[in-house]
Order: sequence, then structure tokens, then C-alpha cells
Amino acid sequence: MGLIQREIEARGVPTVSVTVAKDSTAAIKAPRAVFVPWPMGHHFGAPFHFEVQRRVLFAMLELLQNATQSGEIRDLPIKWADVRREARILTEQGRRL
Amino acid sequence: MTAAGSLPGPDPREAGTQLRPGLWHTINSRYPGSMITKPDFVPLVALRKPLSECRVTFVSSCGVHLKNDAPMEVAHPFGDFTFRRVPSTAKHGDLIIHQLKYPHDDADLDINVIFPIERLQELAAEAVIGALTPEFFSFIGYNMDPERFEAIVARDIAAAVVEEQRADVALLAPA
Repeated sequence: MGLIQREIEARGVPTVSVTVAKDSTAAIKAPRAVFVPWPMGHHFGAPFHFEVQRRVLFAMLELLQNATQSGEIRDLPIKWADVRREARILTEQGRRL
Repeated sequence: MTAAGSLPGPDPREAGTQLRPGLWHTINSRYPGSMITKPDFVPLVALRKPLSECRVTFVSSCGVHLKNDAPMEVAHPFGDFTFRRVPSTAKHGDLIIHQLKYPHDDADLDINVIFPIERLQELAAEAVIGALTPEFFSFIGYNMDPERFEAIVARDIAAAVVEEQRADVALLAPA
């Protein structure tokens, strides 16, 4: 993912990514990334938790506007335990729809 | 059994740190040569206009595609060096993921967990962002030849994002 991000930025379009693996993103030197401490496959949180999905997108858009140094990885410190707890109820509601 | 006095650090789910520390080394020892380190930073490109006027694209390695599109090759030992185009108007019910390398059971319930296409449609409708590019891009992250990947997939997607879709901004997410 970092390779594509670097390639797009090098062609003149600003980029931002989200990562759950800060070490891998730092190694590839992605131009801008938001880090969430969540499991693989869940970069935008949990099913039907629209608010947390939007928070990740807004964090990405904010970093896009005010990053000053290439390679910045900014933490979005929302605990997975909290996302999971909130999402459990929402998932059950979603499954009933 | 671990003695009570020598338990490992706090549960990462509670501490807010990387859930699986050392992922780069874990993957690289399992698939030697698949992980990448770059020596240099790419100079940052500044936004040229307000976000509310920007055309936004999305690129994902989650392998999602339209249900009537060809599935990704998920069993090939070297990976699949093609990508799929996803119309930015697609909904959860139009899309499917065939991939074995990460858990997508939650994404099967709500695709926005890994490919937030419906949230982006809302942000465009709310004029937080100007518009979405007609197409988004998807491929599978598992590939065992980063040089070939960079030469083919990365350049083709980047060219499509910049020259064909005319994106002002690109958001990207691995899986």
C-alpha cells in the first residue's frame, strides 16, 4: 500500500493512508498515515459503527491538511476494547435489519 | 504457566498500542523478501484547494470487487498482480471480498469496516469533500514480488488515479 501511496504523491497528488502496523508504514516511509491500534481487516473500526468509521476518515482528512513533514504517522488513540464494546450492540441491531 | 510477577505488558487492546507488534518482521520471516524498507521520503504535495472542492479517490488492498467482476487470484503462491475498479456509487450489497490473508468476517457484514465507500458517499453529499472520482481501486496485498508489484500495479493505479480519474486527493487503506 505504501508503494502506491508514494507513487501517487510523487505524481503530484496529496495522499494519506491509515495503518494498524506502524512499523511497516514507518519502514516504507508512507507520506502521511493515521495509526489506529486495531486488528488487521478493521482499519475503519467495526460493523455498523458509523461514527467511528467517520472519525477515522476525518482524522485522515485533517492530517492531509496540516501535515508538515513527509512520513508523519499520527495516532488516533481510540482503544479497540471501546470500539468492540460499542459495536457489539450495533452489530446485533444491524443483523436484525 | 507464567508466574504472576512476570506477566507480559498490558493487554494491547487496553493500552492503545499496535495490536500485533513487530508485524514487519513477522511477515518478512514468514514470506522472506515480501516486506519493504525505503531509504528516502517522498516530498509532500500540498493541497491546492479546500477539501470541499476536492475530488477524492480511494485505494484499498482489501481485494473487494463488484460481485459480477472476476475474483482475485487468492491461491497463487506469488500473488495476483492485477487490480479491480469499483464504481464509487457502489453499495455494500454490490460488493464482495475473496481473500484469505486477513479476517474479513466483519467486512462481510459491513464493507465500510475496511472499504468505507458509503461513508465517503455521505461526506460528498454533505460537501465535506467536493466529489468522489467515478472509480475507486482495489487489489490484494499479498504478493511475493515487491519490485514487480511496484513496476506494474503501483504505477498503473497511480497513473489511473492521477491522469484518468483526475483525483485531487487520494485516501488509501491496506487490509
